[in-house]
Amino acid sequence: MQLARVIGTVVATVKTPGLEGVKLLVIQPLDRHLAPVGSQLVAADAVHMAGPGELVYFVAAREAAEAMPDRFVPVDHAIVGIVDAVRSLASDEPAAEAGPPATARPSTKSGLPRRARKAGRP
Amino acid sequence: MKLARVVGTVVSTINAPDFDGRTLLVCDLLDPSGRPSGGYMIAVDSVGAGAGEIVLLLDEGNSARQVLAAPGAPIRTVVVGIVDAVTGEEAAAAPAAATKARGPKPPRRGGVT
Repeated sequence: MQLARVIGTVVATVKTPGLEGVKLLVIQPLDRHLAPVGSQLVAADAVHMAGPGELVYFVAAREAAEAMPDRFVPVDHAIVGIVDAVRSLASDEPAAEAGPPATARPSTKSGLPRRARKAGRP
Repeated sequence: MKLARVVGTVVSTINAPDFDGRTLLVCDLLDPSGRPSGGYMIAVDSVGAGAGEIVLLLDEGNSARQVLAAPGAPIRTVVVGIVDAVTGEEAAAAPAAATKARGPKPPRRGGVT
């Protein structure tokens, strides 16, 4: 698994069977100091909560499809968690906070923070 | 499997259900001599590894799910061992690096010395 920043969304009307309803996000993989590394890629959102600007971790290869509700889908990168913080265990390195730039956080329809919305879900 | 050093943890409250209750460790990949070879992985802990320790990373999905007894989990990388020593022509520095990284660490499991 690797860290990544969500930088955009993908809208696709025509998709292969099994990918209906799967949210696709453009992510930029990061190194452990949260600096961009490698090329951007499209990942399926297995937590249904990630949005642009957020720090996430994703899994690649066959395991990405395991994260989806239907396990036999053509998915090779899946976001499996939203990062609150990356804590460095070495005393000489500061902890990296997960907070995205304020301008990057999308507004929510309900006006509630994400955590509150999740808690209120049936 | 790969050699790596534990350098951090990832804190996450919103995640796939299979990750609930699991510890995610940020691990820098090492070459056999104990030097960082570039790159890192986030791995699920299965042995109680701690800060600075050199560990054995398993990077294969089926084995990972078997080790964690979690069939169907989207987990591919697992910490499966804590390295005491690496020997060989290229490996002279690894035990020293491990000792240096650990330092005077308190006993981890139940006070065993």
